[in-house]
Amino acid sequence: MAKSPWVYRINAGSCNGCDVELATTALIPRYDIERLGCKYCGSPKHADIVLITGPLTARVKDKVLRGYSEIPNPKVTVAVGICPISGGVFRDSYAIKGPIDRYIPVDLNIPGCPPRPQAIIEGLAMAIEIWKNKL
Amino acid sequence: MSSMDGIFDYIINVLVFPGGLSALILGLVLKGMDRKAGARLQRRVGPPIIQPFYDLVKLAGKENCVPETARKFIFLNAPIAGSISMALAMVLIPISGVYTPDASSGDLLALLYLLAVPAVVLMLSGSSSGSGFGALGFSREMSLILALVSVALKVGSETGSVITFSLSEIVRVQQVNGPFLFDPVMHPAFITYLLFVPAGLGVAPFDVAEAETEILEGPLLEYSGLIRTATGRMRMDQAFLFYFKWPEITGITSLLTVLSLG
Repeated sequence: MAKSPWVYRINAGSCNGCDVELATTALIPRYDIERLGCKYCGSPKHADIVLITGPLTARVKDKVLRGYSEIPNPKVTVAVGICPISGGVFRDSYAIKGPIDRYIPVDLNIPGCPPRPQAIIEGLAMAIEIWKNKL
Repeated sequence: MSSMDGIFDYIINVLVFPGGLSALILGLVLKGMDRKAGARLQRRVGPPIIQPFYDLVKLAGKENCVPETARKFIFLNAPIAGSISMALAMVLIPISGVYTPDASSGDLLALLYLLAVPAVVLMLSGSSSGSGFGALGFSREMSLILALVSVALKVGSETGSVITFSLSEIVRVQQVNGPFLFDPVMHPAFITYLLFVPAGLGVAPFDVAEAETEILEGPLLEYSGLIRTATGRMRMDQAFLFYFKWPEITGITSLLTVLSLG
């Protein structure tokens, strides 16, 4: 039952560094997370693990929260990169609405700017464990 | 009494073998093999072959959400209708030596029409979901089907005009005369069929309707939970139908039966 965690990415105003990591270095055939049953899904309605990158910019905040609300339970929320955790390099900016966990419950943090692919995969494995406990 | 038995047998055929359950299982295994083969070609391990089973079970466990702007009745019932039509279509196909349906003329036409149902279901799902992506998927699927149906009718009519529209008759003729595969007259129809299979399934390069990178799975976007499993299951039945149907009709298995008996 817990062998098919599908992953959905939300970019909350990220500089795209972490997104590049997610798209092209970490979750790619080289490290092959598909053998764990993980794959990206195009629709939030099919998602189990949510990867959120980026500090929550003011412009995108409502849309991110709206998109997040589309994801059915049970789900695991993962903050990828230091930006959703504390604001990262942007933390004193006027355009940032603060760390993600002011608005949504975060289950797992993967710090780094950007995190190494190995760190992302380890975080994903931990997220799968959390997801199994939530089922 | 005999009619009661007949109905009971028919229901078993639709629900378990060769329809329903067995079509679902075999279709999912086919999909699993496809993913595994793709992975191996890319020099990686890949998911286990039964991964699609896990996917389907997982999707069933999610909350069942219906968008506010969706037409609820069509939205929820279209995938179910699609699954049922696939199960019914499976019952029509004779499997040599294992299963013979009640012979009737015109089976082939019924089969072709039933095969069009998943496409219609996809269109209905897309248009009733109330999302822009769904509507896009609906119109794309419609374009695809218009191109597809003419091909399907060509194939069907070629077979029909050469022999008959009855599937049992087709299999029996091949048991006597040898499989169609070896008959050069049927080769154009066979090639057309090979082109038709990925288009009918919505597999690349014919996946405009469900393009994941463009319209985010179009018609299926707003589905979650148990209903999503119904759409997945419909696709799986379709896959099984396509991959196993033509070998039956071209009599590859009848060839095997003949070889093993003689």
